[in-house]
This record gives sequence, structure tokens and C-alpha cells, in this order.
Amino acid sequence: METWRLVTTWNAPPAFNLGLDEALLESLGAPVTVRLYSWKPGALSLGYFQRRADVPAAADARAVVRRFTGGGAIHHQRELTFSIAADAEHPLYRGPIAESYVRVHAALARALADFGVTAELRGERALASERADTGMCFHKSSPLDLVWNERKGVGSAQRRSKGRVLHHGSIKLGTTPLEGDIATLEHVAPGLEPHGFAPALREAIEAHFGVRLVADVPDALERGRAKELAVRFGSREFLERR
Amino acid sequence: MRPNDRKYAQSHEWVKLDGDVAIFGITDFAVQELSNGNESDLVYCDLPDAGRVLCAGETFGEIESVKAVSDLYAPIGGEVLEINAAIEDHLEILSKDPWGAGWIIKVKPESKKLDGLMDAAEYEAFVASKKH
Repeated sequence: METWRLVTTWNAPPAFNLGLDEALLESLGAPVTVRLYSWKPGALSLGYFQRRADVPAAADARAVVRRFTGGGAIHHQRELTFSIAADAEHPLYRGPIAESYVRVHAALARALADFGVTAELRGERALASERADTGMCFHKSSPLDLVWNERKGVGSAQRRSKGRVLHHGSIKLGTTPLEGDIATLEHVAPGLEPHGFAPALREAIEAHFGVRLVADVPDALERGRAKELAVRFGSREFLERR
Repeated sequence: MRPNDRKYAQSHEWVKLDGDVAIFGITDFAVQELSNGNESDLVYCDLPDAGRVLCAGETFGEIESVKAVSDLYAPIGGEVLEINAAIEDHLEILSKDPWGAGWIIKVKPESKKLDGLMDAAEYEAFVASKKH
């Protein structure tokens, strides 16, 4: 049975969170690494190509950072954030991008089912969580997004670079004023904390992909690189690059 | 069959020599992988400034589809002469005509040797192997 690494970092600073994800993306040859994490403070992250001025909620966020993945802005509060880094040729990511989304989302749906939530790919249906001109990830959807209660409940994006892929996602446990009426787990598990959802996600990933997740920490090279990259993610220059 | 007048990289860029200029683009396979067949799924791209000197294999730009940001790699080294400004606001051109109007940048090549790149037949075989 294949062994994947499991790295958990709860309540970590925004720039560190992004720096560690990018360091894991760069870590050529490393085993598949699943990371489960949360943010303190609960920052708003802009998509890589977004202009801050196009995200009105950024003015009300306690902290704002720019991700290296694309898509819309996310308010990282009341959510479990995850990333899965692997070589692009790994069966998890090999082939069309859309198919890799289907694989990852099937594992997430399995974890959500443990909480009594039936999450499905959006397909062609219209959602009640769509909003124009907010620039927020959860207010815009694509057919591959995971939805329940006719709203988007998981925000996902990928970065593909130098033979590696990092799939990055946010599973909403509750609402925040900056994101409003979206799908969450509040109705089935009020007040659920990110570490409270983690065991279900871990088991679902193991069962869906037929792998064993072993708790680990990033190696020294990854930690050093994460520290360097965190400086960039914490810089005004990178935040204002658009 | 893909055009025989250019060479292809494993990262799915193409390069075509036109006199003293080398033209870079990405293949129909790359566009399909990024956009899942929906031309509106390509949303942003970042291209280099003219004058930048690229090494072979270096990242020269980034492209965002609805679901992924991916790097663009220089198939050969050279100095950037021109970018295709038309595609920055109309990325659907890449889907409609990846071999012509969808060119991405023009460079002054450091060498006209295209060693290590694939011809059309080799690239066809390479892409076929990716589908299995």
C-alpha cells in the first residue's frame, strides 16, 4: 500500500501557510503530501491574478495575502484548508486537469458524507450562492465544484509547475460575513473546528485512494524554503503585484 | 497531424523558426488540458517584457485556466522581441488557432539549433503515451 505524508499545521500565520504550500509544491520527488491547516488570523487570500480593487471584501479583512493559485478570493475563517502536493506524473494528477479534480472531489465528498452531507459536482445546475462583482471564490462556480444545499461549499485551485502539482482547497465549516450565504457544515455540525473535521478527511482520503497517511513534518529543506517563500507572501510588493 | 514546420517540447510548447526570429506557442494538447475543451476557461496570462533574456527550459510566463495556474517554458533560449498582446485579452485565440494567431512570444534565438526537441511525429507519439 502506498504511503502518503500527512502534515497538519493549525492556526498558522497567512504568509507561512502559503510559503509552506509552495515549498511542498517545489519538493520534487517527495512522497504525495496531504496538508491540513487553518489560519490565524483568518486572512482573505486573493487569487494569483486578482486585483485587490476587484475584491471589495478585502477592505474589511483583518489580513490580506495573495495566493500562488488562481481563482477568486477566499476568507480563510471557519474552514479547513487542505493541499495535496505530488508529482504531475503521479496517478492522482496524471491526465486532464478536470479528471484530477473529479478524483480529489470524490474523496472530499466521502468525508462530507460522514457528516450527513451529500456533496456533488455542480454540473450544469444554477447555484443560489452565485454573486456578481464580489471577486469571491465561493460566489462563482464551475461544473467541477463541490456543492450541497444548492450552494458552493468547497473552493479549489491548482498550481502546476516544473513537473509538480499542488491542489489547494477550502472546505467551509461555517459562514463568515465576508462570504455570506454559501454551503457549510454549520447545519449538521454547529461550531465544528478544522481539527474536528480532519479525521474524517484523513480516513476518506485513505479509503478513496487506497493509501496510508502517515503523520510527518516537512523536512529541513522544505522548512527552509517555506521560510524564504513566506517573506515574499508577507511582502507588500507581492500583494500589490496586480 | 500537427504542423511539421516546428519543433515541440515535452512541456507542450512549440517553437517555429521564421528567418532570424523564433516564435513560441503552446500546442492544441496543452490548450485542451488547460481548458477542458471550453475556450472561455482560459482566463489570464502573464507574459514577459521585451528584452528579457530566456534560457532554454526557463519559465517565460504563466497561464490561468478556471482550475489551474500553469507555467510556460521556453523551448529554446533567446531574447524576447515581442509578445502577442492580442491574446492577453482574448485567450480564446489559443483555442481557435494555437498554431498561427495564437503564437505567444517572438524571440531572437541564441542558436537556431533545435536539438532535443521533438518533430511532429515524435510529439504525436509522446501525446499518445500521455493518454494511456
